[in-house]
Amino acid sequence: MDMPPVLSVRDLSVDLAGPVAGRRILDAIAFDVAPREIVGVVGATGAGKTVLAKALVNGLEPPLTARGTVRFRGQDILNLAPRAMRPLRREIAYVGANPMGALDPTLPVGHQIAEKMRAVNPAVAAAEARRRVVALLDAVRIPSAARRFHDYPSQFSGGMMQRALLVDAMISDPALLVADNVTQPLDVTVAAQVIRLMRELTERFQTAILFVSSSLPVAREAASRTLVIDSGRLVEEQPTEALIARPRHAYTRDLVAQIPTIWTRSPALPRTGEPARDRSESSPVIRLEDVSQTYRVRERGTFAGTSALRAVRNVTFDIHKGDSFAVVGESGCGKSTLMRLLSRLERPSGGRILCDGQDIAPLSGPALLGFRRKLQLVLQDPFNSLPPRTGIGAMLEAPLRTHGWRDAGRIRERVRAVMNDVGLSPALYDALPVGLSAGQRQRINVARAMVLEPEILLMDETLSSLDQTEQFRLLALFEKLQRAHGLTYIFISHDLAMVRKACNRIAVMYLGEVVELADNERLFFDPGHPYTKALLSAMPTLEERRYRPEECLLDGEPPSPIDLPAGCAFRSRCPRAFAPCAAEGPHLVTRGAGALAACHRVTAPGARPVNADAAG
Amino acid sequence: MFVLSFLARRLAQGAIIITLVSLLIFTLLRVVPGDPVRLMVGGMAPDSLVEQIANRMGLRDPILVQFGRYAGQVVRGDLGHSFVRPANGAATGGANFDDATRAERAPVAALIGEALPMTLQLAALALAFALAFSSLVGIAAGLRPGGLADRFAFAVSSIFISLPNFWLAIVLALLFSVKLGWLPAVGYGGFSYTILPAIVLAVELSPVLIRTLSGAVAAQMGEAYVAVGRIRGLTETRIVGAHVLRNAAVPLLNLLGVQFSSLLGGVIIVEYILDYPGLGLLTINAVLQRDFPLIQGIAIVTSAIFVVINILVDLAATIIDPRLAY
Amino acid sequence: MSVESSLTLGSVPVDTGRSRSIGRRILGRAARATGFRVGLGLLGILVLATVLYPELSGLDPGKMDVRARLLPPLFAGPHWNWAHPLGTDQIGRDMLVRCLIGLRYSFLIGVASTALTLVIGCALGMVAGYFGGRTDAVLMRITDAQLSIPMIILAIAVLGVSRPTIPAIILVLGLSNWPVYARVMRSVAMAERGREYVRAAQVSGATHARIVLTLLTPLLVPPILFTSVLDIARMMIFESTLGFLGLGVQPPTPTFGNIIADGRKYLLNAWWIATMPGVFLGLTLIGLNLIGAACERARNAIHGGA
Repeated sequence: MDMPPVLSVRDLSVDLAGPVAGRRILDAIAFDVAPREIVGVVGATGAGKTVLAKALVNGLEPPLTARGTVRFRGQDILNLAPRAMRPLRREIAYVGANPMGALDPTLPVGHQIAEKMRAVNPAVAAAEARRRVVALLDAVRIPSAARRFHDYPSQFSGGMMQRALLVDAMISDPALLVADNVTQPLDVTVAAQVIRLMRELTERFQTAILFVSSSLPVAREAASRTLVIDSGRLVEEQPTEALIARPRHAYTRDLVAQIPTIWTRSPALPRTGEPARDRSESSPVIRLEDVSQTYRVRERGTFAGTSALRAVRNVTFDIHKGDSFAVVGESGCGKSTLMRLLSRLERPSGGRILCDGQDIAPLSGPALLGFRRKLQLVLQDPFNSLPPRTGIGAMLEAPLRTHGWRDAGRIRERVRAVMNDVGLSPALYDALPVGLSAGQRQRINVARAMVLEPEILLMDETLSSLDQTEQFRLLALFEKLQRAHGLTYIFISHDLAMVRKACNRIAVMYLGEVVELADNERLFFDPGHPYTKALLSAMPTLEERRYRPEECLLDGEPPSPIDLPAGCAFRSRCPRAFAPCAAEGPHLVTRGAGALAACHRVTAPGARPVNADAAG
Repeated sequence: MFVLSFLARRLAQGAIIITLVSLLIFTLLRVVPGDPVRLMVGGMAPDSLVEQIANRMGLRDPILVQFGRYAGQVVRGDLGHSFVRPANGAATGGANFDDATRAERAPVAALIGEALPMTLQLAALALAFALAFSSLVGIAAGLRPGGLADRFAFAVSSIFISLPNFWLAIVLALLFSVKLGWLPAVGYGGFSYTILPAIVLAVELSPVLIRTLSGAVAAQMGEAYVAVGRIRGLTETRIVGAHVLRNAAVPLLNLLGVQFSSLLGGVIIVEYILDYPGLGLLTINAVLQRDFPLIQGIAIVTSAIFVVINILVDLAATIIDPRLAY
Repeated sequence: MSVESSLTLGSVPVDTGRSRSIGRRILGRAARATGFRVGLGLLGILVLATVLYPELSGLDPGKMDVRARLLPPLFAGPHWNWAHPLGTDQIGRDMLVRCLIGLRYSFLIGVASTALTLVIGCALGMVAGYFGGRTDAVLMRITDAQLSIPMIILAIAVLGVSRPTIPAIILVLGLSNWPVYARVMRSVAMAERGREYVRAAQVSGATHARIVLTLLTPLLVPPILFTSVLDIARMMIFESTLGFLGLGVQPPTPTFGNIIADGRKYLLNAWWIATMPGVFLGLTLIGLNLIGAACERARNAIHGGA
């Protein structure tokens, strides 16, 4: 490198002062960042990335203590006093992983950015600061920036807030930006927008970026050079492409190997049913007929006015015995509402859900218990889903008792059998769930669902909180259980890579509607809907993409499910929208071989609108 | 527009609350033993006279009928007349009950109208004392949990919350008024008579305020925006002054709304002890004299004040934190 | 993500202390605080004294002794006497025994009315929070209405018009303070209702009653019990206030309130009659408040960290 580095880290160690002995979080980290360079930092959760990011911006707080040097343009800033550090805040900016908590919730976003600008550079007049903030908000493509200036943080979506925080960071033309996991809380399509934006900003402002991420594919999108951190140590440093092609350290090799592949290798699909069975012949175990759910929400600024939030709109599909059916989509697409409808925690406001041909809405008493025995739910959050003070055995016994089992010996026997099935040691029978890993807890969740010997398991983001290794293990377990018990799975997920591995049939949801419904191979290799293409193009993967982000990636964010625009709900973001989209919402049309998409651009030969009978 | 609809909704809710309260008090007063007519006419009057008067006053009708009649009057702004008090002069009652004098009995609204400003003055001063003291102690405690100020706040609030207000009033009156002669204490003869009762009430009110404020400040200091604010380059003064205190004010405001009734409870006792001519003294005398219309009137007025204060508090909280507008 | 959370995720959280029930953990943590120990000691001594002293000394709280009237407490003026450590009142009754008997009633009424408050408040709050919707709206309007009348107005209105007996006092105090608990319970029940394990129980077919009684009650009620210690203290203040107004337990039974009310007339020449019961009451309340505050801090610390 010709130019002197803007940031130079040498022998940086961070300790956590503990009551007994300190714990080392970071150990002898050393690296440089050149001007205008984007350097990625990758590592697992808990490897010390966030601590590193905080240490570099002089933001560590007790009980963390740091040693070593962090030179910014030659000046050691590691343990600089706050007063001496303040002028440098203009040059060193920081954006964190929690956009919603980063600003005072009670003051408008724009005002707070202007406040920061004047704090780091008191020479700027208030009016000038305001003008610059609006200009930059506009530059990061926040719609009607001048009005948004006065909006509060709670009125921003996560992606919009993250962009506003980038404005906050860039407002003082910093020489270095430390971006700590900025895309982590965002949906894939929005995360891809933010990364694209960051690259534009570095060019425009000549800022160097340290891009910290827990995902190697995400870091690859942004960074030209990448550092890998494992348990507080810097284990490898290479240009990003070389790092992926020829990882040198064992940890990096594992990391690269664990990144799921979508297109290169065909994954082993769990198929217990006939692979090429005729769907119209076997009767479905679950059938959704034109299911809608509308919530009344209080309308701001009226006496008793409410408006309709249409969370799920006219969803129709069939699930057959032995299917691993996936419902995918980004936040707010209605998949959680669909989960509540399927598990009959709520009744739909329109349409019917049939289980073995029987409408589940009017069920009550023994009939409802019967349905509950047939369909069970495995929950998302391994830490919230177990009552904290109940023994594991007792937890698994509870459903049996609810369903009228009385014989203590038989109950115990059944619980032990299920624990064995899901790979839980019988020694855990009397233990409390505290101290168990997320994977173990998810096994308990699965066991709790399995104890009633259901036919259908509804998985609500069951795997999203687990790391790759745990995910593999649980997927293997699911496959085993499916083979042994002939189960049908319904996965509700935002993780297309997991779905690619585990599911044979996939429904893509956008704003409460199913926009595409297809078998696994077809969906990933020949998607019919532009939204599916956008999702695929934004997937974090190391393979060569089938769908280029430049062609498919979306602008903006989904409209509000209250007051939906007329016509196709996707048209405001669709790169291929044309006149008919504004006039009428498209229906699911068949594209042949059981694949359907809801788009006016789909013109497969013989395409025709389908009704409930043909869907699925 | 938002404010108008907010007001409309809250006032409607408030009307329900006030109706419930007056119905509750109305029913309670009629189901508990103790006949007000007997008190009015005196022990010597024959039972037939008691019945005759009670019937004439409608006190033997079903409760809901009585309530309906009463509510009708209240809506027209008439809180009725005191059973006992004459329009001017001391409380009457006893053997000389005569229907002709009924018109001269004091209207409840006038009695309350006289006493209420006194009480409001006392409550406002007490609140000012309490807020000044608690913000000083509570904010310092919240900024450094576990520090010296925090321990001081804990000690002070533990002691203050353990002092019964009526006892404190007696002791302070003995000390400041009788022994030291610094402040007048008993009765009312000018603004200085408000100070001592206000101090007593402030002592009673401070512990919760201190605890809420120090807790809220400490919680806000733990929020992400504070740590991020430091990294963004904001000064500590600015973070605390412009952001932390602003956010910590919301729970404090809510507390004030809820604490209103305990403040009023304290006011009643302290007024009674120090013979301060406000709503509290009026209430206790009304109860002791079984002056039903007056008790009801006071209940309606206090719950109306509660409703208004809570609307103001929520409006203020909404202005500070727009997320609260639902 | 905060530094702390990223650290705990990395480490394996094996903490044996966590397997104990929340109640025990709160108690254990509170017991380590100095304030808790001081309060417990203070309260212990007072309870022992009120249980034992009136019987052991053989003094009758109502026995008059005109020759020994207006004796000052120990070392506090002329004619003090070991037989009456806190002096005597205007008709020669022993102040220490009267105060301790007063403490008995005060404590009894405080505990009983707090228990009543807890039962009503927790039940209504749990129902409102768990079921939400219209049930919640109705219950909360009632709560607001109750909150809007100062409880002291309600209490004196009822007790002033009827005859104050001990059950009546307990009932009135208990019935006037529940809204606070209802609100607290409602908010925690609401938060808990959305938790996933409740959903899991619903999907497994458990009825609402079953979820509320077997899952939520054991989890949510114990922490609230700790806060209620503070309310015993508040109730004792209200009891003495009522006594002071002549609406508490009636003479000749001594209560803090009626002793102070009587002693007021002799404030200038026998200050101890009105102040001694206040000191006793104050000491008891400090004891209770120290315990209560320590419990509350421990509860917040554990709930914040759990």
